[in-house]
Amino acid sequence: MAAVAATAAAKGNGGGGGRAGAGDASGTRKKKGPGPLATAYLVIYNVVMTAGWLVIAVGLVRAYLAKGSYHSLYYSIEKPLKFFQTGALLEVGIVPSSVVLTSFQVMSRVFLIWAVTHSVKEVQSEDSVLLFVIAWTITEIIRYSFYTFSLLNHLPYLIKWARYTLFIVLYPMGVSGELLTIYAALPFVRQAGLYSISLPNKYNFSFDYYAFLILIMISYIPIFPQLYFHMIHQRRKILSHTEEHKKFE
Amino acid sequence: MSHRVEILDAKTREKLCFLDKVELGHPQWYPARQSLRLDPKGKSLKDEDVLQKLPVGTTATLYFRDLGAQISWVTVFLTEYAGPLFIYLLFYFRVPFIYGHKYDFTSSRHTVVHLACICHSFHYIKRLLETLFVHRFSHGTMPLRNIFKNCTYYWGFAAWMAYYINHPLYTPPTYGAQQVKLALAIFVICQLGNFSIHMALRDLRPAGSKTRKIPYPTKNPFTWLFLLVSCPNYTYEVGSWIGFAIMTQCLPVALFSLVGFTQMTIWAKGKHRSYLKEFRDYPPLRMPIIPFLL
Repeated sequence: MAAVAATAAAKGNGGGGGRAGAGDASGTRKKKGPGPLATAYLVIYNVVMTAGWLVIAVGLVRAYLAKGSYHSLYYSIEKPLKFFQTGALLEVGIVPSSVVLTSFQVMSRVFLIWAVTHSVKEVQSEDSVLLFVIAWTITEIIRYSFYTFSLLNHLPYLIKWARYTLFIVLYPMGVSGELLTIYAALPFVRQAGLYSISLPNKYNFSFDYYAFLILIMISYIPIFPQLYFHMIHQRRKILSHTEEHKKFE
Repeated sequence: MSHRVEILDAKTREKLCFLDKVELGHPQWYPARQSLRLDPKGKSLKDEDVLQKLPVGTTATLYFRDLGAQISWVTVFLTEYAGPLFIYLLFYFRVPFIYGHKYDFTSSRHTVVHLACICHSFHYIKRLLETLFVHRFSHGTMPLRNIFKNCTYYWGFAAWMAYYINHPLYTPPTYGAQQVKLALAIFVICQLGNFSIHMALRDLRPAGSKTRKIPYPTKNPFTWLFLLVSCPNYTYEVGSWIGFAIMTQCLPVALFSLVGFTQMTIWAKGKHRSYLKEFRDYPPLRMPIIPFLL
């Protein structure tokens, strides 16, 4: 879901790394692009993020080759993953699209990284972690390069195609990884009473993190299909429109 | 098929005006959900607007937008306030399936728990009565989806708070009776204050009208807060809930107060801005919701 919302938040032209009238999709260029200083900032931000996720991708490949297996690769990219995914908090507010949707997406990613994977050490060696890390990595590399190229008004069709096509596989993959990881964390949360408070206490408050995680898992059921089909709809709109444009060139 | 509508004077039968070529369609778009405007992306025209006073020529083009299914403000208020009143009592009386079976229909041994029930119930009964007899609404209706959103908020928080306050393992306030008395005083003062403001606002506006005037302090001391804020009703409301939070020493109550405060601040700022825009001579000392600060 964190993977899904990433692209959904940036529907159409822009999102994430800001847009400067990419001139694709609906064909109407948004005249109100950011000024030169803001554009420079956005380009730098998107280039840095693309580079960051490439570092993670390379890290995964190297660790796989060194170890000879795909288990427990999380440890080799833990730090850059935490750094660059948390860094995405900077996107909230500089995104032209809905602040609500963007912050929702970033918060859910950050939640998974810190409140689940980091907090419950026992799940770090699970294969499900690799599943969502790979999904996020590929998605983010494409997404941030998409923004970079859009800002520079030179968007290769391949990147646009990739952004609006690969999600078909990457979203379900990411969601599966996320859900399996949360599920794997449950017994350890229950056992340790992690992040939980019980009655009685002087603030008359209680919180059961185990129940909370289950609610999170359930929330994927209504949310994921909505985001997924929104992306499918976007894909039809954006890719077929470009086809038409190309026809007349 | 088009119609011609004639309006005649009832006494003299003189033809006053007529509407020509009226085509009837879309009966599902009742007046409350109609938004008419001069520009497709512009602001909606008001009910009171008169065609003559609008910047249109001999042919006026109006753009229609469907506001969606509507529901009356009174209905929404009554529903969203009746819920918490009822729900809190379910927890207070420890109705089965909430706490363990050995607690069914038992009563708390803490005085503050009974006091809290009285305060909470009083608060919502007051709100219901004000909705029926005091408030004069500018708009008749709001979008239907609001009732689901609003009820989830009010009913949800009421259940959450009530669960802890009426819990068998409830811990009374750290500073005992002193804390409860002080908090109760704050609560009562703020409830009286809030009610006074509602009455003052009602008196600003004759029945059935939608006039807007600058509110001023009256003889009632509670209304003197108008000297410092635009929306003292919200100020008092926040105060009431802070009082209730201190009285019950319950974190969910504090969170509810915080969320309510955030929402009311947004509303107060909007109201304050409208006042400033509409009235050149609006008192400059006033802040939206918190004297001198916010």
